Amino acid sequence: MLAKLAQRIGGRELTLLAAVVAAAVVFASLSPVFLHPNNVYAIIRNSTELMLIGLGLTFVLAIGGIDVSVGMILGIAAIAIGNLLLAGVDPWLAALAGPLVGLALGAFSGTVIVLGRIPAIVATIGLLGVYRTTIFALLGGSWLSGLPSSLSEIFAARIAGVIPTSYIVIVVAYAAAFVVLRRTPFGLHLLAVGNAEERARLSGVAVRKVRIAAYMVSGALCGIAATFYIANYRNVEMTVGSTVALDAIAAVVLGGTSILGGKASLLGTALGVLLIRMLQNGFTIVGLPSLWQPVVTGVLLLLALTLERAAVAGLFRRLGGLVAARRTA
Amino acid sequence: MTDVPFLKARSIGKQFGAVTALAGVDVDIRRGEVLALLGDNGAGKSTFVKVLAGAHRPTSGTLEIEGAPVELASPQDAAAAGIATIYQELALSENLSVAENVYLGRESVRRILGVPILKRAEMRRRVDELLAELDAHIPDPDLPVGGLSGGQRQAVAICRALNLDARLVIMDEPTAALAVAETRKVLSLVRNLAGRGCAVVLVSHNIADVFEVANRMVVFRRGAKIAERRRDETTPEEIVAFITGAHPSLRSLEHLG
Repeated sequence: MLAKLAQRIGGRELTLLAAVVAAAVVFASLSPVFLHPNNVYAIIRNSTELMLIGLGLTFVLAIGGIDVSVGMILGIAAIAIGNLLLAGVDPWLAALAGPLVGLALGAFSGTVIVLGRIPAIVATIGLLGVYRTTIFALLGGSWLSGLPSSLSEIFAARIAGVIPTSYIVIVVAYAAAFVVLRRTPFGLHLLAVGNAEERARLSGVAVRKVRIAAYMVSGALCGIAATFYIANYRNVEMTVGSTVALDAIAAVVLGGTSILGGKASLLGTALGVLLIRMLQNGFTIVGLPSLWQPVVTGVLLLLALTLERAAVAGLFRRLGGLVAARRTA
Repeated sequence: MTDVPFLKARSIGKQFGAVTALAGVDVDIRRGEVLALLGDNGAGKSTFVKVLAGAHRPTSGTLEIEGAPVELASPQDAAAAGIATIYQELALSENLSVAENVYLGRESVRRILGVPILKRAEMRRRVDELLAELDAHIPDPDLPVGGLSGGQRQAVAICRALNLDARLVIMDEPTAALAVAETRKVLSLVRNLAGRGCAVVLVSHNIADVFEVANRMVVFRRGAKIAERRRDETTPEEIVAFITGAHPSLRSLEHLG
């Protein structure tokens, strides 16, 4: 019975769960602050955006794609929401602007990648540059700050003292993603495309539409993440989203979604996000400067990839594509 | 009107840039008949098959299905016209289950609040039936295809074609990677398909297999159709001579090449 449950959940997910528990035990023994409700709330709240962006990237990685510009999509959507709030727009309407802007940017990225026939890693590095400059231009060199607290009141309120209300949306998003991935033709098509595009095409899957749709899902989820970003922090700084892609890709790969495509784990992504944010929080509490956070994440990413040797080969192929593209440029 | 061929290809040509892969190919494909396409590597038979499958658009020529002109711009168009293709590499997704592969691209769904939800139980039941009909020795339609043998994968691909209610089934080297016993099984299945009134196009290098199941043979060489024979009017030796270019009727052509 227990073995059957374990099989359903999956080995990778159980390993991650064990790692989360182990990390909690270690940090709790090192610092009494770690398990204080306020710190637990901080960890969960700081996971908010990554939960959604990781979810979107799970779809993108499932098709064998990648998007390193997710943090910039979050940033642009956050600026849009912030400006709408400053203009006195109803907070619910402003909140809705996040996913709409994200959806539009995701559609743009997906179209560039698919119709431009550009390897996703190269295309999204290019888009990262474009979007980052867009953020600089939109912010005009200063912070977007002094935002009203209306979204915070809606989404950053606490449930049971430690869980922000935004998690209602996150739970719904994961449940919907589960249904889409495991119970709809689109989910099957995503996994078939991730396994082998040409075979999927020969089987009658509309490969280009499916690929663009994956980037749209990811964009929309970045946009929802932006809404919660504004609710949590009530400002947008110039460097918004700069570490998001690394954190999100690490979380998704750690969760057992294949960097090669064709395999996705939603529970794994959620646990991966939680583990990364816990480690970042825990290391900060025990005195490691936050400057080192990307090192922790980077090491985790490399560790996850080493666990999946075939996946490493795939990443090298993509980097090889990047090098080849540079050579011909 | 049974004497109208299921599919008529006329003057089919295909260019890839400056390379002529096919030129002026005329072929009729009839219901209840196994038509074998033969030829050396690069002779054009695979390109011709991909034209029929909607995977390549011909550069010139016309296709008619039951007397009506058609354009097969995509594999979906071909499927809609009743043409199912079983590729050599089988075009299966290893990460999906047997049932998912059989239904991929034309899933059965019910709509809940407008969202198409897979009818998993129904798909599983239908695939179970098909597998039993084929005596395919695949115990569970929920198994991932990645773990199946070559013959089992072939059976999954054939199930897919049957499930499409295909009127023309194209099989590309179906026995190439199979053991003897599995080859027997696949060949008997090819005959069964034709017996059901299906038109079958078989691409093969194996002359013995072809002479066992095919009613008619078409030989390709250098992108052109160079010979067409009924099985009862030819011999394996003659067909091999056509394939290799050694046939006396080809001498003048070979000098031009």
